[in-house]
Amino acid sequence: MLPPSLLRLPLRLPSSPSSLSHLRSPIRAFTTTSLNLQKHFPPRLVIPDSDIEENFLKGSGPGGQKINKTSSAVQLKHLPTGIVVKCQETRSRSQNRKLARKTLAERVEELMLGDEARTRVKARERSRKKASAEKKKRRKYRALEEAKAAEGTEGGGEGDGDAAVEMEKDTIEPGKGG
Amino acid sequence: MPRLPTSLIRAARLIDPLLPLLLRPCRDLRSAQNELRWLCEHIQNHAGARNITERTALLKKLVQERSTGKPLQYILGTEFFGDFEIECRPGVLIPRQETAASITQLVHLLRKSKSLPPELRILDLCTGTGCIPLLFQDELSKHQDIRLELLGVDISKKAIQLARSNLAKLRSQGKPTAGNKISFMRADVLDDAREGYDHEIPKLMSALESQHKSSTWDILISNPPYVSPSEYWKTTTRSVRCFEPQLALVPPPSHGLKDLDQGDRFYPRLLHIARDVAAKIVLFEVADLDQALRVTGMARQAGIFSGIEIWRDDPGGSAELESTYASGDFPIVGSGNGRSVLCWRGEGAVWLGKHV
Ligand SMILES: C[S@@+](CC[C@H](N)C(=O)[O-])C[C@H]1O[C@@H](n2cnc3c(N)ncnc32)[C@H](O)[C@@H]1O
Repeated sequence: MLPPSLLRLPLRLPSSPSSLSHLRSPIRAFTTTSLNLQKHFPPRLVIPDSDIEENFLKGSGPGGQKINKTSSAVQLKHLPTGIVVKCQETRSRSQNRKLARKTLAERVEELMLGDEARTRVKARERSRKKASAEKKKRRKYRALEEAKAAEGTEGGGEGDGDAAVEMEKDTIEPGKGG
Repeated sequence: MPRLPTSLIRAARLIDPLLPLLLRPCRDLRSAQNELRWLCEHIQNHAGARNITERTALLKKLVQERSTGKPLQYILGTEFFGDFEIECRPGVLIPRQETAASITQLVHLLRKSKSLPPELRILDLCTGTGCIPLLFQDELSKHQDIRLELLGVDISKKAIQLARSNLAKLRSQGKPTAGNKISFMRADVLDDAREGYDHEIPKLMSALESQHKSSTWDILISNPPYVSPSEYWKTTTRSVRCFEPQLALVPPPSHGLKDLDQGDRFYPRLLHIARDVAAKIVLFEVADLDQALRVTGMARQAGIFSGIEIWRDDPGGSAELESTYASGDFPIVGSGNGRSVLCWRGEGAVWLGKHV
């Protein structure tokens, strides 16, 4: 089960199917305003049928009249991400199918969030490293300048320090559910 | 059946002292936990037990019954068939999910058709609980503006009573779509004189003629008894053998009929009926791929169909690799065990989208 905290995540997910093809790639940062506005909206991810493979959980051996199963477990696989969920909550297969779809949508969201958060964490790490490297360099440069032995220049990285601060404000921690 | 490992029993007991009993019929912890949960829910929602002591006692009793192999569906009194909760009673076969999957797939194909006639007549032979006509009409009427006449036929009095009770229950919930006509009738699908046969029960064709003005039916569906006597002992589970009616599973013997042919016994007769009622679509459930191949052979020999197909347990699912399995010329659709045979002719091809 998903941690309850995850369900409350203030997030609005794109519902157009095409957006799902980008699941693996990092998703652009959500702005702080949209986070606040969408706070009370439930997850809205709709997974297109064509992205789902449903497995009929046939036990081994014969089926039909020869065996009288009580299991109506449903297993769904989200093809773009390979996420698999199984549901055997109720005695009704069609009910389990609905529940499984819901869980699958949540898992996919979770993955997207995870990716998002990871991307941000990485970006932050990178900019921190860059920033400290920068400091070191600046120190070095100063020393070098002082030594009047200027060699090459270090460009870019200017806005990185600021970006890192921005990131920290709205970084979403990855969910722990599995 | 192999013995349950003591470690598993111990683990189950730690979770709930009643679980080890349920492990006997369920064989694995997860299923046993599911069933325990469903039994608890059942007691909370339905049973008359008032206080906690009474409820606990009742739960114990039901768990004990279940541990003898009695099907959960007979204990709870229902089984889900598609979206429907169908009433079940001892003496009538419990509907199987594979059957629901085939019916859903058939309706799925019909639903896509833009050329269905304004009225369709569906005959379900060996109807048991009546689950097939009930699901069929619900799934088709939800999506198509069409008038349906459905008739379910069974030889068993208990089955016909139960089917009518299921219909009445759905009516009380306003379920069967207005304008559709559903009825159930007791008759014998086989046409020979058998030993111990109750002569009060009319034969199908004469019953159809006397009770229904027209004896043409557009769609013929049947999940007949299809287990041969030797398969009955070798391949059915103990719970099926001990608690479900043999009448629903094993076709009656006939002089000179070998084991395998006895298992297949309903199909030649059903194909005959298909011809007599001028059915344009025919869907028969079978035990496995071997029987499916035998039935497709019979259907081909009947010489009246323009198309024949074999469906697996999950006919809507992605096809399996072994689709080319020695089926002769017939496509095998879906995944799982061989489960049914679909035949069509005339307009049936258009209704199923087999024709452009
Ligand atoms: C396998 S059960 C199928 C029940 C139901 N259609 C379902 O799918 O759950 C077969 C049914 O055929 C009935 N039956 C057996 N012999 C018959 C006969 N000669 N004529 C009509 N029905 C028969 C049994 O009573 C039983 O209800």
